Amino acid sequence: MNSNSADNLDELEKKSIMIIREAMAQFKNLAALWSTGKDSTATLWLCRKAFFGKIPFPVIHLDTGCKFPEIYEFRERLAKEWNLNLIVAKNKEAIERGVSPENDRFECCTLLKTQALKDLLVKEKFDALILAIRRDEHGIRAKERYFSPRDENFKWNYGDQPAEMWDLYIKPSEDFSHMRVHPILHWTELNVWQYVKREGLPVNPLYFAKDGERYRSLGCKPCTAPINSNASTIDEIVEELETSMTPERAGRAQDKEKAYMMQKLRSLGYM
Amino acid sequence: MSLSKINLVVIGHKDHGKSTLIGRLLYDSNSIPQQKLQEVEAELKKAGDEGFRFAFLLDTLEEERRGGLTIDIMQMPLKTERHIYTIIDCPGHREFIKKMLTGASQADAAVLVVSAKEGIEDQTRQHAFLAKTLGIRQLVVAINKMDQVGYEESAFVKISQFLDEVLKSLDFLNTKMVPISALNGDNVFLRSHNMKWYNGLTLIETLDSIVEPSQSYADKPLRGCVQDIYDQHNGGVVVCKIETGVLERGKSVYLSPSGKIRSVEVIEMFGTQLDRAKPGDSVGLVMKEIQGIRRGEVISYPETRARIVKSFIANVILFSSIEMKNGDMCVIRCGTAERKCRMDEILAEIDPIKLTMNAVSPKSLTGGSVAEVKFEPLEPLCIEIYSNFPPLGRFVIEGKRGAIGAGIVLDVEYDGILKV
Repeated sequence: MNSNSADNLDELEKKSIMIIREAMAQFKNLAALWSTGKDSTATLWLCRKAFFGKIPFPVIHLDTGCKFPEIYEFRERLAKEWNLNLIVAKNKEAIERGVSPENDRFECCTLLKTQALKDLLVKEKFDALILAIRRDEHGIRAKERYFSPRDENFKWNYGDQPAEMWDLYIKPSEDFSHMRVHPILHWTELNVWQYVKREGLPVNPLYFAKDGERYRSLGCKPCTAPINSNASTIDEIVEELETSMTPERAGRAQDKEKAYMMQKLRSLGYM
Repeated sequence: MSLSKINLVVIGHKDHGKSTLIGRLLYDSNSIPQQKLQEVEAELKKAGDEGFRFAFLLDTLEEERRGGLTIDIMQMPLKTERHIYTIIDCPGHREFIKKMLTGASQADAAVLVVSAKEGIEDQTRQHAFLAKTLGIRQLVVAINKMDQVGYEESAFVKISQFLDEVLKSLDFLNTKMVPISALNGDNVFLRSHNMKWYNGLTLIETLDSIVEPSQSYADKPLRGCVQDIYDQHNGGVVVCKIETGVLERGKSVYLSPSGKIRSVEVIEMFGTQLDRAKPGDSVGLVMKEIQGIRRGEVISYPETRARIVKSFIANVILFSSIEMKNGDMCVIRCGTAERKCRMDEILAEIDPIKLTMNAVSPKSLTGGSVAEVKFEPLEPLCIEIYSNFPPLGRFVIEGKRGAIGAGIVLDVEYDGILKV
C-alpha cells in the first residue's frame, strides 16, 4: 500500500457518507441493495457509520434462487449480527416457470433480478435505492451519476442524464419512479479491499482461494466463473490486484454475452 | 513522496481528439487492463475501423461507438510520478453542454484540446469560457493532430498565437501549449521524434509540473452546512459538513439564517470524537437546545459570521430550454439550502462562443445563455462570493427534473441590520 492510502480512504469515506446522508435527507423511503459481495457489504458499513451504528432502512437481497450457498450463509449471519431489516426479493413466478440462463441469459437477468426489484419497489414504494456500483467496474457504470434517476418505466435514460453540479445532487421529482444513489462510485476495486481490511469487515469466503481458485466478483452460480489464484487472505488479494491486468468482472458472463448487453440491461433498470 | 489527487477535465471542440488523447494517456501509462484492449480490438475488427482505437476505450455506449461521438462523461484514473489524475472526458458537441458542465464542475484543472488541422472552433472558445466561468484556473493546452499538418512548427506557432489571444481575454495568462499527436503518441507521454524544433515538456510532464491540487480551505473563516438532524444520544445530533475553516470543540457557533448561537459540546465523526473538524469532514455535533435548527443553515463563528444577503450578482449558465425573464422567481440551491429568489435583472449577456458581450442586456435568458444576473432572495439566504468561499459561492437553479442552470457568485450586498 502506498504511504498516503490512509488519507485517501478517509477522503473516500467522507464523501460516501455525505452522499448517504444527503439521500436520507432528500428521500422519504430509502432502501439499500445488498448482494453480500464486498462492495455492498462495505456500503452497508458506510451506512451504519452515517447513522451512528444502525441502518434505519431496509436492506434488500435480490435472490435468483441460484446463488452460491456461501452467499445465503453469509447473508443470514450478517443480517443477525448487524441487526439488518432484511427483505429477500424473489421472482418466484419466473423461477417456477423455469426461466434460466441456459435459455436466454438476458431474459434471466431481466426477470429474476430487474423484475424482482421492480415488483418490490412498487409494493414497498421505495423512492430511492442505495447501490454499491463503482465506475471502474464496467464502462457503462462509469457513465453513472451519484444520484441517478429512473423514469416511470424504471428506465435509465443514459443519453439525457440530468446535470450533476458539484455536490448539489438531484432531488426527487414526480417524473422519476425512484432515484439510484451510488455512494462508492468513485472507489476502485483496490480501495474497497483496503477499506475492508482497515475496518475489519466480514468477507464472503468465496473471495478467498480454495484449491487454486477463487471468485473475484460474485454473481449467480451458473454465470460466474472463478479465477486461478492462491490468494487466501486480504493482503494476498490486494497484492494480486496490484499486479493484475485482468478486469474484475472477467468471469461474469452477462458482461460478455451480446455486444452491449450490460448497456441494454442497465437501460431497462438493472443494477 | 505522496501523490496528490487531481481531477482533470479534458475539453475542446468535437472531433479534435479529446477521447483519443485520454485513451492514449491511459494506454501509454499502462492503466488499461489487457482484456479491455482485446475487447476493443475485437469490436473494431468487426466494425472494420482502425483509426479510432483509443477513443473507443472511453466511448462505451453503443451510440457513441456507432456515431463516433462521446455522449457522456467518464472518469478514469491515471497515475504519474507526481499525481493521481482522475481524467474526466467531456463531450464536445454543442448539444452536450450540460454533461460537459457536470464534468467540469468536478475539475481542479483542464486540458484544452485544439486540432492543428481544424483550428480554433466554436466549442474551443465555449469550453474555455465555461471552464473559466466555473472557476477553473489551471489550464494546459494540447495542440493535437500535428501528424496531419506534417508536424510543422509553423502550424503550431500560428495556432498557439491565436489561441493565446483568446485565452488572455479569459484571464488565462501564459498558458503552456504542447504540440502533440494523440493518435501516434507524440509528446503525450513520450517525447516526439518528429518535432525536433520543440524544446518544451511533454503533455504529462507539463501537467505534472504546473498543476496543483485545489488549495486547502482550512485557513478561511469557518463555514459549515447543516445536512440533517438525527435523534441520538438523549437529544439530537446536528449533522453537518465543514466546507471551510476549522471547527473546534467547545467553541460557540453562529447559525444563519436563524441567528442562534450555540456551544459545540461534542464533535463526532464516524464513531470517533474529535477536537477539531476540518474542511471536508462530515460530522455530528452535539449542542444544547437544537429545536428549530434545520437543514440548510450555515454554521460559522460569531466574529466572522455568515450573513444573510440582500441581493447577489452571479455569472449564470442556463442549460435547459426553459426561458427565464427579468422578474421571474426561481429556486436556488447553495450548500444544503434551498431558497426562492427573484431574478431581478440581467446585467449583461456574454456570447459563449464569440466571447463578446451583447450590446444591449436582454430581458430573458434561455438554454445556452451565459450572463451576469442580479438576484434577490425572497427567503433568508446565506451565500458567499465564490473567490472567498467556493463551496458556498456556487449554486444551481432548480427545475422540475433537476438543475436548469448553475452560477458562480461575483458580488453580494448585505442588509444594513446585523442580527444578534
